[in-house]
Amino acid sequence: MDNKALLHVNNIHTFIGQFHILEGVSIHVPKGKIVAILGRNGAGKTTTLKSILGLTPPSQGSILFDGQELQGQRSFEIAALGIGYVPEHRAIFRDLNVSENLKIAERKKGDLARKEAFIFDLFPDLKRLIQLQGDHLSGGQQQMLAIARALVPDNKLLLIDEPTEGLAPVLIEQMMAAIRQLSAETTILLVEQNFIVASQLAEDYVIIEEGQSVKAGKMADLVKDPATIRRYLEAA
Amino acid sequence: MTTLLQSFRKNRALWVTLLVLCITFLMAVRGLVDPIAEGGERYKNVVITILRGLSTGSIIFLVASGFSIIFGLMNVLNMAHGALFMIGAYVGWTMAVRPDTVVDAFTPLVLLSAGFTLLPFLDWSLQKLNLPKVAGGLLPWVGLILAIVVLGFAFPKYPITSWDVGSYEISPTNYAFAASQGQLVAPEPEGFAGISPLVGLGSIILGGILAAISMAGFAANRRRSGAGTGSTKESLPWKSFLIFIGLVFLGWIVYFFNTPISTFLLNIDTTWLFILAVLVAVATGVLLGALIEATLVRPLYETHLYVLMLTLGVSSIIIEVVRAIWGAPEFTMPRPSIFDGTGEGCPAESLGALIEHKCSTIQVLGGRVRTYNEIFIPILGIVVLITVWILLQRTRLGMIVRAGVQDSDMVKALGINVQRIFTIVFALGVGLATLGGVIGAPSTGLTTTLGDSLLINLLVALAIGGLTSYPGAAAGALIVGLLQQFIIKYGQIGIHIPFMDEPFKPTPPLVPAMTVLLMVVILLVMPNGLFGRKE
Ligand SMILES: Nc1ncnc2c1ncn2[C@@H]1O[C@H](COP(=O)(O)OP(=O)(O)OP(=O)(O)O)[C@@H](O)[C@H]1O
Ligand SMILES: [Mg+2]
Repeated sequence: MDNKALLHVNNIHTFIGQFHILEGVSIHVPKGKIVAILGRNGAGKTTTLKSILGLTPPSQGSILFDGQELQGQRSFEIAALGIGYVPEHRAIFRDLNVSENLKIAERKKGDLARKEAFIFDLFPDLKRLIQLQGDHLSGGQQQMLAIARALVPDNKLLLIDEPTEGLAPVLIEQMMAAIRQLSAETTILLVEQNFIVASQLAEDYVIIEEGQSVKAGKMADLVKDPATIRRYLEAA
Repeated sequence: MTTLLQSFRKNRALWVTLLVLCITFLMAVRGLVDPIAEGGERYKNVVITILRGLSTGSIIFLVASGFSIIFGLMNVLNMAHGALFMIGAYVGWTMAVRPDTVVDAFTPLVLLSAGFTLLPFLDWSLQKLNLPKVAGGLLPWVGLILAIVVLGFAFPKYPITSWDVGSYEISPTNYAFAASQGQLVAPEPEGFAGISPLVGLGSIILGGILAAISMAGFAANRRRSGAGTGSTKESLPWKSFLIFIGLVFLGWIVYFFNTPISTFLLNIDTTWLFILAVLVAVATGVLLGALIEATLVRPLYETHLYVLMLTLGVSSIIIEVVRAIWGAPEFTMPRPSIFDGTGEGCPAESLGALIEHKCSTIQVLGGRVRTYNEIFIPILGIVVLITVWILLQRTRLGMIVRAGVQDSDMVKALGINVQRIFTIVFALGVGLATLGGVIGAPSTGLTTTLGDSLLINLLVALAIGGLTSYPGAAAGALIVGLLQQFIIKYGQIGIHIPFMDEPFKPTPPLVPAMTVLLMVVILLVMPNGLFGRKE
């Protein structure tokens, strides 16, 4: 394997309770790129991200991040190595206001002060909402905040789960522009159901089906391969 | 105005319930107005009953707030909270009445816990050593058995001057009386039974270290069996050595100056003793809380039913331990001297006179209000209410707690050690419970059933206010406190019901029944309590 990989997920298996959810997932994320995880509903995309973070720890396989084995480490230790998480459904803290939602993500004192300008440049709306409670934000605003929260500390890798889910077309455009701008500085592992969005953002892809990574490669090749798209991604 | 209207539409059930509660309250107040008396004196009963309600509510609130934050953050219903409240009362009582015993007990407890401060170092060396499987499996058990043997040898010989309920001179009741008169005398100090002090104290230190080795061994085995290996990159934890040496030193100092310290404490003013009692009780609660969380609750987090049963077990163990150490009879705890004056100028006629003569009672509208129970406790309740609120709203710890109540996985994913936050919150929550215990003790007295009745009151208060809501805990505690005191008052004066000749007098057993009834009614209208959030 080439040593430019920032993240290397190697054949992991994950159980939730007694359910065998991931049955062999391998992902290769080169430094500086956007890699998209594709697959139908319930394929195991979210579980893959959670397994990387140790929220649903895999029982087998290995996960190498920046040369370190993540398997067996605790979630907060994994995150502190420099992984930001933007979960499905945003998980904004509703009892905290926007400012606190950002502040809580600090790993060192002054993280937020250092990144503030960059974050508000990326999402100018947030600046105006800074005192608003988390549960008073609209879906799009929550999504922006969720991404902004992952940008507060210095992260080498962002795990972003369905950032365009439920957003209006205008907002989707805005979100895509933001993610593109981010990828100039960090590596991104992106779960995206909207194939048009995924194909425009990502350079590489991995397809997960029924808990297994079944296909991976260059996005440019996948776009020219309608048979594969039909086989794995369109509604069965 | 429009926002008020909107919030009314959204929370119609809440507003209607609050309105009904207010009307009921006003009716209850009206019934207490004395039509015969003149001027302000008509409201004597109203004022006193409300103050008593505030007092009862304050104690319930102190305990309920910790319980509710613990439940919100880690989904643990800590059924031992009532028993820990009682521990606060008994430990505080001991400090106030028998400070010499606390001094005696201080040394062995500090020396014992010194061993546990070595845990980071032991964890670290076990990871470095990476023992073979069999040795690793045996180590914790060997450590545990050796610890029991060594401590079993040393502890019974340790000199702690005790008391005996059966014998008058050294009965706790007698001491309590002497304490309130400022006439405490230190009993003769005792020595180690049959062994040199060096061996005795050394054995206790050794026992603590052995127990810590056992704990570190169990933790290492848990990690090995898959629950995360932790990181091995940290360097030798030097700090834990310094703390260890500091604690051992402290323990020995107190041992050598035992008699002067005891004599000094026995002769200081009861107000100072009371302040010390509060500090000791809170410290005991914080340490016990941390200990219970780290050793018993943590391994079982994922299985909530087991934790519930476990804390119930802890509760009955605590009650038995209290019976074994303090015996079964009821104790009273002396009030601090600044709230206990009865001489000239008392009961105080004004606030100035109250402060000048340190009166135990103050004259309000022709009635007597007890300074400690009905003025000091409510003020303290409000101070704690505001302090904890500020802690929750303005500090990073509070921010993490509020976030963790909603989604602790997301907090972990931000790189925050939620486990450590759990321990801190559990410790502080139990600290609040023991604070409630020691503060309430001079007013309620001490019995071994103290915790049970409080646990029921706090569960009812939280059910009314909303299980995980902080304002809800305050509101619920206030409502329960007021309700109980109003019923008690009406039990004395009776309620005039139309078409009945005799006024109806609710009997004391009706108090808990009415409390539960109110809870049922509120839960029927608002299943999540007044301020609970719909999930
Ligand atoms: N807590 C759980 N208990 C049992 N099964 C679960 C649990 N969480 C997820 N699963 C199952 O695991 C499988 C994968 O779920 P996952 O959320 O990873 O899918 P996904 O690919 O992210 O789907 P979606 O596109 O709908 O978000 C699904 O079949 C789901 O039902
Ligand atoms: Mg998903």
